[in-house]
Amino acid sequence: MNFTYSEDQLTYRDTVAALLAGEVTAESIRTRWESAQGIDANLTQQLSDMGLNAMLVPESCGGLGLSELDFILLAQECGRVAMPEPLVENAMVATAMLSDIAGSGLVAANQCQDVLEKIATGNVSVACGHWINPYINMADTNQWLLLPHGEEVHLVGSQAVDLIAQRSSDPSRRIFKVNWQPSSRTKIADGQLGTDLWRSALNRGALGVAAQLIGLAENILQRAVIFTTDREQFGRPVGANQAVKHLLADCAVSLEFAKPVIARAAYAVATAPTRADWAVSHAKVAASQAALLSVRHGMQVHGAMGYTWECDLQIWMKRCWAIDKTWGDAGFHKNRIHEWLLNPNALMGAEHTFGKSMSLNDETILEQGAV
Amino acid sequence: MKLDFSPEDELFREEIASWLAANLCGKFDSIRGRGGPGDQHMFIDERKAWEQKLYQGGWTCIGWAPEYGGRGATIEQQVIFNEEYARAQGPGRAGHIGETLVGPTLIAFGDQEQKDRYLPEILRGEAFWCQGYSEPGAGSDLANVKTSAKFDDTNQQWQINGQKVWTSLARESDYCFVIARTDSKSVGHRGLGFFLVPIDQPGVTVRPIEQLTGTSEFNEVFFDDAHCSIDDIVGEPGDGWKVAMGLLGFERGVSTLGQQMLFQNELDEIIVLAKANGSAQNPQIRQRIAEAHIGLRIMRFNSMRVLSSKETDGSLQKEAMIYKLYWSSWHRNLGKLAMDVMGSESEVLEDGPYQLNRLQSMYLFSRADTIYGGTNQIQRNLIAERALGMPKEPRG
Ligand SMILES: Cc1cc2nc3c(=O)[nH]c(=O)nc-3n(C[C@H](O)[C@H](O)[C@H](O)COP(=O)(O)OP(=O)(O)OC[C@H]3O[C@@H](n4cnc5c(N)ncnc54)[C@H](O)[C@@H]3O)c2cc1C
Repeated sequence: MNFTYSEDQLTYRDTVAALLAGEVTAESIRTRWESAQGIDANLTQQLSDMGLNAMLVPESCGGLGLSELDFILLAQECGRVAMPEPLVENAMVATAMLSDIAGSGLVAANQCQDVLEKIATGNVSVACGHWINPYINMADTNQWLLLPHGEEVHLVGSQAVDLIAQRSSDPSRRIFKVNWQPSSRTKIADGQLGTDLWRSALNRGALGVAAQLIGLAENILQRAVIFTTDREQFGRPVGANQAVKHLLADCAVSLEFAKPVIARAAYAVATAPTRADWAVSHAKVAASQAALLSVRHGMQVHGAMGYTWECDLQIWMKRCWAIDKTWGDAGFHKNRIHEWLLNPNALMGAEHTFGKSMSLNDETILEQGAV
Repeated sequence: MKLDFSPEDELFREEIASWLAANLCGKFDSIRGRGGPGDQHMFIDERKAWEQKLYQGGWTCIGWAPEYGGRGATIEQQVIFNEEYARAQGPGRAGHIGETLVGPTLIAFGDQEQKDRYLPEILRGEAFWCQGYSEPGAGSDLANVKTSAKFDDTNQQWQINGQKVWTSLARESDYCFVIARTDSKSVGHRGLGFFLVPIDQPGVTVRPIEQLTGTSEFNEVFFDDAHCSIDDIVGEPGDGWKVAMGLLGFERGVSTLGQQMLFQNELDEIIVLAKANGSAQNPQIRQRIAEAHIGLRIMRFNSMRVLSSKETDGSLQKEAMIYKLYWSSWHRNLGKLAMDVMGSESEVLEDGPYQLNRLQSMYLFSRADTIYGGTNQIQRNLIAERALGMPKEPRG
């Protein structure tokens, strides 16, 4: 048993973190808010040059052939700087799904290999929809979209979809509703495989969000510590008050305790994807709770300053609020957990969850993992 | 104890309900339900006109004594007024600060001349007020205000210099009540005065501060040789702290009733939405809706208990002290509940460039509830030290 990341994983994380710290500043994010597409093409290029898009592309397609476990630390760093570019969802969800199909015996395998090769060289990007998300972030910056129709998976060219822009409460996010027509030409998987693919997509998406939330929240906590050390009232730093210290200490505790849960979930997704639901749901719930607590307390200790547009804290807070509801909200994930606990032999899956209606097949009876 | 309304009370209910039905319509239709928390700066002209309409019907300042133009309404009647007002979706009261804070403060601490001058225009819905307490260096440590007030012998008026910050609705107001230091050598809550300062004068500059909601309800207010008349200090120089705290006591008084009715409207809206979008089937959401209802009832009963007890002179009683912490925390949870009920839609704005819908702005505003008017941390300190008599924390 070993819960630590490898030297390589940590070194790569540090390299990426250093790049992001230089390139993705609060100021540059505010500049993106004013721009049409909301992304920095220069940064996208740099990330691609560093091989980030290609991490989950199989080596046979020119990628690095790595796994979610390798990507998770990077997702955390993307969160830490509140990066607006949709790297995590594209590289960890869409790419991984294409890789799954490319490795299958399906007719579409060739087409997916072709797309993956272009992803690896940075010439193409692909977004991934899901029935659980009504909107796709930055859908307009991709050449292809993976879209669900029942359990079917469709790979649709961007020229064949109608994107309806919506405004997000997080100005860094550019969300779109996607209108499109499924056809036999766009269908690349269906049946049981389709079901499995969408389930994996949900797990990868939720895992990516969980990791980003941890990074976002750690940044908020750091800002709160700095602010309460600088800001004086009653002739001393407000952070000298126990009431303030305890608020932030609670954030640190819940953040630290969420981290191994995310590692465990990434491990499950990478090594036993059909049995990862419970681990991912746990990770999403734990990360969300830690992040929302950090937002709440981080804002509270900023006093009125935290309620202003000028204060950069809002960039991180609004991201947490927005992505917390993507890839399944807390209610959805808690439900997956308690169904698994209370009724371990019951069929699991979306259609067995209140309030959502989706026809997905399921077969998996979740087994309790090792840890 | 008597917890029912009397037949006279029910007549009163009919009177206000039918007046609202007959008057909150036509050109006032557009402001129904508007101007509540997080929306207070909207439709300001229409809502000021509405205040004057209310006055014509005798419905402003109903709790004031008849000698000041009020109805001397009983607590029961004020409860009923607020219930019916909320039921009719009456707009957020533009005259709120004047009616519930300035008026009672002047009645308690002001002299006859001040009452004669300021109360009638508040009553008529013609003068609007804002609160000039906080400064860059004086937030939780309110007694640290640096704004100075010097008496200018030649012109026989007070001269004010300094800066206030986070002043809500300053641009929509005619006057600001300001705590300023009358004794330049003093520190802390000694040596302060409570001033009534007209905003429309060359020495006062109001600069909006943009909030994370994208709107600007609060402002910075700069005083550069601003002035007010010799009669515009409430109490004596040095009494400022006492008056300022008295005013905060009124904030926890009758004005809580109207606030609870707004909360009730918000909860109702959340319940309607939860039923409509299916989230009401989620047992977690159902429980939280029940908890929200329970909390709101607790607040209402507590308010009625406090208000119906004898000591309603604005002094800080234990019951009043616990109220701010309770409602602000409750409301913050309600905001979270609203977003969870909205689900994925909670992210989607109504319109550009940053137009939040009602529940979204309520959510963001509820995060300020635990900050303004004394943060939750300060409230807990007050409860522990003043109500429970625990040893004081070191200050400075
Ligand atoms: C929406 C909004 C509207 C407002 N409207 C007005 C208005 O109209 N007029 C007006 O005068 N003011 C207004 N305010 C200002 C408000 O009263 C102050 O924000 C509040 O008093 C807190 O002060 P601060 O923001 O300077 O925070 P600080 O005092 O700097 O506090 C920062 C953090 O430290 C904590 N802290 C500070 N001291 C202690 C202590 N001794 N023990 C424990 N914790 C402590 C606080 O709880 C807070 O979490 C408004 C504020 C907001 C957000």
